[in-house]
Amino acid sequence: MHSKQEHKLKIFWLQGLTCNGNAHSFLNLEYLEELLEKIEFLYHPLLPAKETLSEMAKCKTSCDILIFEGAYDPSLKRADTFVDTMLHYYAKKAKYIIAVGTCASFGGIFKASSPQTNSGILFNEEQESGPLQGYSAKIINLSGCPVHPEWLGSTLNMIVDKHPVVLDKEHRPKELYSSLVHHGCTRNEYFEWKIDADDFGQKEGCLFYKQGCRAPMTHGSCNTILWNGVNSKTRSGTPCFGCTESDFPRTDLFETKTNMSIPVDAPLGVPKRAYLTLTGIAKTFHIKRLEEPLIDYKNDN
Amino acid sequence: MITKTIIEQIEGEASLYFDMKENVVDFVTIAFPHFRGIEKMLEGKSALDALVITPRVCGICGHSHLLASVRAIEDAYKKSGFPIEITQKALKIREVTLILEIIQNHFKWIYLVLVPHLKELSNSQEFFNTPLKGAYGASLATKILAIFAGQWPHSSYMIPGGITSDFTYMDLTKAKILLEKLSRYFESETLGVSLEKFLSFDSCKEFTALEGNFAQIEQLLISLQMHKKGFAHDRFMILGDHQFSRVTKMKGTKFFQALPKYVMTQDTYAVNEKSYAKNALYKNSFYETGPLARCMAKEFKLIKNMHRRFKDSAYTRVVARFYETAYLLISCKKLLEEIDISEKSCVRSAPLKNIAGRGEGVVEAPRGPLIHRVKLENGKITSYEIITPTQWNISSGTQEKSSPAQKAMVGLSVKEAAFVFKTFDVCSVCTTH
Amino acid sequence: MARTTKEERKNGIISAALELFSENGFYITTIPDIAKKVGMSVGNFYNYFSSKDILAKELIMYISEYLGKNIRAINESDASTQEKIEQIVSMYFDTAKERPEMIEYFLRVYLSNREVFKDGCEGMICVSPFITEMMIFFENGVASGELHDQDFFSAFGLFMGYLGGMVFLYGEKILPEPLDDYKQSISENIYNALKTRT
Repeated sequence: MHSKQEHKLKIFWLQGLTCNGNAHSFLNLEYLEELLEKIEFLYHPLLPAKETLSEMAKCKTSCDILIFEGAYDPSLKRADTFVDTMLHYYAKKAKYIIAVGTCASFGGIFKASSPQTNSGILFNEEQESGPLQGYSAKIINLSGCPVHPEWLGSTLNMIVDKHPVVLDKEHRPKELYSSLVHHGCTRNEYFEWKIDADDFGQKEGCLFYKQGCRAPMTHGSCNTILWNGVNSKTRSGTPCFGCTESDFPRTDLFETKTNMSIPVDAPLGVPKRAYLTLTGIAKTFHIKRLEEPLIDYKNDN
Repeated sequence: MITKTIIEQIEGEASLYFDMKENVVDFVTIAFPHFRGIEKMLEGKSALDALVITPRVCGICGHSHLLASVRAIEDAYKKSGFPIEITQKALKIREVTLILEIIQNHFKWIYLVLVPHLKELSNSQEFFNTPLKGAYGASLATKILAIFAGQWPHSSYMIPGGITSDFTYMDLTKAKILLEKLSRYFESETLGVSLEKFLSFDSCKEFTALEGNFAQIEQLLISLQMHKKGFAHDRFMILGDHQFSRVTKMKGTKFFQALPKYVMTQDTYAVNEKSYAKNALYKNSFYETGPLARCMAKEFKLIKNMHRRFKDSAYTRVVARFYETAYLLISCKKLLEEIDISEKSCVRSAPLKNIAGRGEGVVEAPRGPLIHRVKLENGKITSYEIITPTQWNISSGTQEKSSPAQKAMVGLSVKEAAFVFKTFDVCSVCTTH
Repeated sequence: MARTTKEERKNGIISAALELFSENGFYITTIPDIAKKVGMSVGNFYNYFSSKDILAKELIMYISEYLGKNIRAINESDASTQEKIEQIVSMYFDTAKERPEMIEYFLRVYLSNREVFKDGCEGMICVSPFITEMMIFFENGVASGELHDQDFFSAFGLFMGYLGGMVFLYGEKILPEPLDDYKQSISENIYNALKTRT
């Protein structure tokens, strides 16, 4: 039990080239109030904080945790100071550096604003060649576009609790990113039996084969820790766009890329042969229950 | 003498260059830094990719960009000879989620922008400051939105033909219940009176009977003389067609026709620093957009009364945002009650590769009209233009022809001007995209 | 005399069954006929295959695995798609020449007596190893840019329908030239039909 007098971890939320989506997503954290009893924002783009950005830009103080949101852009200035300057100064001082969102983790969408110069803080897509390469040991990537508030909330809690944050090869916490977005999707049975959705707007059918769903290839917990406490993209019929991965955004996002009707990408780690064999067998059988709508609002009474 | 002030926490930042004369603002120019080139990024991509990329223009109003995007694409379908007949259910749910994003925005603006800055401006120790109320109200509004759209921020659940979500009656019921909860929260925590009563007020004299956050804010605004400050051009523009809005142009209380084709952009007048924003004008004139404009167009009694007494002062502008929040909560409830769940969520449309030509989508986003203009060839984007509401309000024009925000800041101290600037609810990321 | 293993005896039954079925037809050939050819008692035969229908299905799976294995080796080689087409055609025609009973069984028993295979060999599940390898071949061909993208079945039908037809004609002794002489022209025709268009 933390007493309020105990040292609250000081956090500086610094932004690169961003849309602010991660900052807004964080505000949806259900236990924000409780978390703010254990941490304190020196600066946050939305919440009232101890200092203004202009103060932080003077680089006179230090923080326990540096949170960076947005793509790294060496030419970017905030509060009349190069973000690069603030980034390097606070990265050195901080005990932990958290990249929130895919832009800060890998470059994401705003790497495309200037592909030659922009990147994540540690990774430039899959390569570990970002500006903070030297601080690799301190960096946690919470990729996602935007990051789920609980992914940040639980990581901060682990840090507060001094619990080691075990990371995968891309510096993402295994607690949150070892499962696939596919796990927990309500359409799983349709995936199992290869019943593809023919159209959008139906709760039945799997979105993998035609609608471009990347969930079986994407690390994340969207279908286990639901979004906004209630839902997820795939549960509401939108294909997963693979936003936690280093190749986000891809192109032709609502379509599955096929070569001769065969999906170019099989589920993660599943050999193409295994996938095709299983699919061939599943597609042979017609399970009547799975080919009918679950609820027929027009005709059910 | 030109002084520079950087305004932070406006979904980014902006630099205000004040030209002071006798300690008050004589003229001010505005520069927005940070360019991301999203319009250029979209060139060569499939039209549907815009539904994923444009919401990332902005973290607080990305959902409005989604609707503008899908409307632009559907308009291109229509102009190519393949019109899509969307169901009423899909149209209404799109409206519902748009409205909820606006409500979320206003909750945040009230408790994260207005209150802290009002407190700072007035130097009042006793004045309340409860930012988490804004976060809570906003998170409840976006929770309801997510029931239909899958998530907030950054949903892409609107696609040509309708919506991807095939929600159940149970989902709809839950949404209605949570909306009630949100409405009660706004009533008890902010307004101090029921939504219906607030919306029925004839004049601001009725505020004196109220207690609570709104009453305290209103009293402080009056004591800071905000009803005599912050006047813009008293001209308003509403271009997004929704149940909750009326498409029109207004000069004072007079109505005129408004057509999106007369909207144009021009380079900003920002001599002290390069600005990546562009001014937005209608037939070469500046207009105010957003909640005050929308409330004026709907001729709400209370707003008309306030406008008669205090024109488009900062006071009227701020109160309009509260009024709009109450109005939208009621509108949202009505829309949910009209949903016929047996209708399809998404109808089939022609293959995208058949679509060529221009399309335009116009939406009332939290701060005013948001316009997306797309040009397609074989279903691929050849050009994409985005004009955001902050470009209207926070244009940077010359002294002879100034924008609403520029005019509103004239004659004030720097501190007051910075406050009045914020009453326009500025979104830096949208302005520059 | 070396003791034959169970595996070897099973393969012996398979060869014998394939020969008899292709010579005399599926319905005329009986289990006792096959058992006699292999030199085992009918009772012992049932230890390996519990019914004629089960034998029929195992035979088709055996053939698919055989073809699948060979196509897989071709898929995994470094050859170009054009060369792989030549190799698949060659392998198929060689099988038709050296082990005619296998292709004959496929064409004359499997394709022609669907009622035998409808329970337990629905759709393409019994020819899955072969189909999977053809899918991999086509997918790689498009991925490498050598074949143009199209529906899988359009391409598959063209390739396999063509080969099956040629082997059928060969079986009927209608082809004037030896089967080997057709390998090059057939491979060219298939490649030209499937390759990327400029």
